[in-house]
Amino acid sequence: MTKLRGSSRRSLFLAATALVAGLGLGGISPAAAQDALKFGLALPLTGAQALYGQDQITAAEMAVADINKAGGVNGKKLEMIVLDTQADPQVGINAVNRLVRVEKVPVFVTGFSGVVKAVAPIANDNKVVELSVGANSPSVAQLGEYVYTTYPLADIDVTALAKYVHKDLGKKRAAILYINDETGTVAADVFRKTFTAAGGQVVAFEAYDPKATDFTGQILKVRVSNPEVVHIHGLVSDTPQVIAQMRQLGLNQTVTSYAAIYNPRLIQSLGKGAEGIIVTSLAPGPSDSPKVKDYVDRWQKEKNREPNGLPYTQYLYDAPYLIAQVFGSLVKKGTPITGESFRQEMLAIKTFDLPVTGKTEILPNHTVTKPVYLMEVKDGQWVRKAIVE
Amino acid sequence: MLDPIILGQIGWTSLATTSYYVLFAVAFSLVLKVNRLFNFTQAAAMSIAFYAAYATVNLAGLPLIVGLAVSLVAVLLFSWLIETYGFAILREKKASVLFIFIFTFMVSEFVAYLLMLTFGTWPNTIFKTLLWPVSLVGNVAVSHWDVPAIASAASCCLLLALFLRFTRWGQFMIAVSDNPDLAELYGIDKRRVFLLAVMIAGALCAVGMILYGSRSQVQPKTSLELMLFATVATIVGGIGNIWGAAIAAIALGFVQNASVLFIPSQLQGLLLYAFLFVAIIFFPAGLKLPERKRTFESKTRQITPAPGVATPADKPAE
Repeated sequence: MTKLRGSSRRSLFLAATALVAGLGLGGISPAAAQDALKFGLALPLTGAQALYGQDQITAAEMAVADINKAGGVNGKKLEMIVLDTQADPQVGINAVNRLVRVEKVPVFVTGFSGVVKAVAPIANDNKVVELSVGANSPSVAQLGEYVYTTYPLADIDVTALAKYVHKDLGKKRAAILYINDETGTVAADVFRKTFTAAGGQVVAFEAYDPKATDFTGQILKVRVSNPEVVHIHGLVSDTPQVIAQMRQLGLNQTVTSYAAIYNPRLIQSLGKGAEGIIVTSLAPGPSDSPKVKDYVDRWQKEKNREPNGLPYTQYLYDAPYLIAQVFGSLVKKGTPITGESFRQEMLAIKTFDLPVTGKTEILPNHTVTKPVYLMEVKDGQWVRKAIVE
Repeated sequence: MLDPIILGQIGWTSLATTSYYVLFAVAFSLVLKVNRLFNFTQAAAMSIAFYAAYATVNLAGLPLIVGLAVSLVAVLLFSWLIETYGFAILREKKASVLFIFIFTFMVSEFVAYLLMLTFGTWPNTIFKTLLWPVSLVGNVAVSHWDVPAIASAASCCLLLALFLRFTRWGQFMIAVSDNPDLAELYGIDKRRVFLLAVMIAGALCAVGMILYGSRSQVQPKTSLELMLFATVATIVGGIGNIWGAAIAAIALGFVQNASVLFIPSQLQGLLLYAFLFVAIIFFPAGLKLPERKRTFESKTRQITPAPGVATPADKPAE
């Protein structure tokens, strides 16, 4: 099921208002509404991943509102069409088909590895640019000519983390526990290869089922292997429980994980059991950048809370700015906006200075590079431990 | 790997964590036995039970006993609604089994979406923390959640067994499960029995979800995933065999946990499906234990007819 939300509904309302006003006053014509520069956003509004998806969409909506408030793109309005994917590949295909064939967008933003992969053939076949934001499977870089990511892939942050654990923390024996799906298997393998290549030893490599509710067997195998550090690559719904069971079964080693686990609720769920957990973040935090601080303050003011998965929302906030810059450049040159012209112009611009994630360079191999921020739980709070370039 | 401490730990933790699975399997099996339907609205009842307790304990800060009471009220109300305005009407209209099956799924999805809109999709727990204190018993870690969980599940099963064995309404349920039309001839109101079965199943789910939600995180669709285990246990335990389902739930939990000692952990998730496949193909009626020899009394035990109702034996010969 797909549904229009947010700015699309508002756009329909605005278009209807403009039409009525135009008929009544002979002022703005319906053609003016068609001048809007459209792009698509396909993310989970419902389903198990909606807690992230909804906040990511809200972040993108904030950005579109800010861009339009500041005058739009060379005087034209930026319009975002939002469709629900439920983070489900089949639902994602339906949503993207509609964006490409009905809404005729030249570019769309999407996330979650399963969906990003499933819709890639639609982007390539129709020569429409797919911008993946948030999916971190390294295979995202090989999905075709029209698929790019603005989010660093798992081999960036997990590689940096594995090297840091070995070199800077001095850990020689690591165990890896991972969820047995696309998110876990690829990233766990990256950690294993990097840690081993750095000279460390992976003493346990255990998967758990996405539907599992008990992890005793795997944790006991890890305990027997006597690691110095345990890397967990799961989801926000299962990782706290894995860590809780680890602590209850007497494993008090350092735990590392990745950006999905970087949220305040983890500390609340685990209490003292969360102390020392190290995770990655691929965007600067409020203490690193005044713009990020303003962004987080805005969430506090408007929503009375921090966004779920802060770094992901930062990338989603920045995505419309990247698109607006490419649109602006094409409009300025008088080039018709198509998927192909968008792609060429994006690669020509290459380096973008984005509001809350900073400098972003689109690489020819369809990826980006960013510094990796390592965050640690200390005295019940997330604090920055290191930045790995 | 196979030292006694590890096996003891796996055995103990499996027993503790299957406490809620036993309750879900017994609830599912009870409705299947008495009402003769695969009741996947149980997933909705489980979610409602959890979120009622979550709202009372975690959000409102009230004691667990209040949470349990609120959860029971919510789930019993839901069970009454679903039986009265769902199953009863479908039975009256002689809806096919497949249609009722689809209806139960639809209700569960609908409730999941309603809960999603109300509580969001962030995983939640009954208490604010997931960590329970642990005591070591002969080097086996026993969490302070374990014993109350096992005791709660065992008590619920014992109460149900006593209810079915010794109460009038319990025997009515057995009679209706054997032959609803014949039971009706004996004056048993089978509609009330159907309602009672659904409500008892709901109450078991409430206890099970409080146990589950005080140890694991729950999202609106979690209960649909938990139903897979209940379904497999019911089929492996023998359709219509309530206690077979309970034993199957314990056995499956142990096998699943211990399996990673013998097979690659990546294959662990396949086990349930493998059991389901084997059970359906080779044991469609479930794994049957040898029948216990019945006493003369139990063979001849009869259900006392409802007051004022003539039994077929009372009817004059025509």
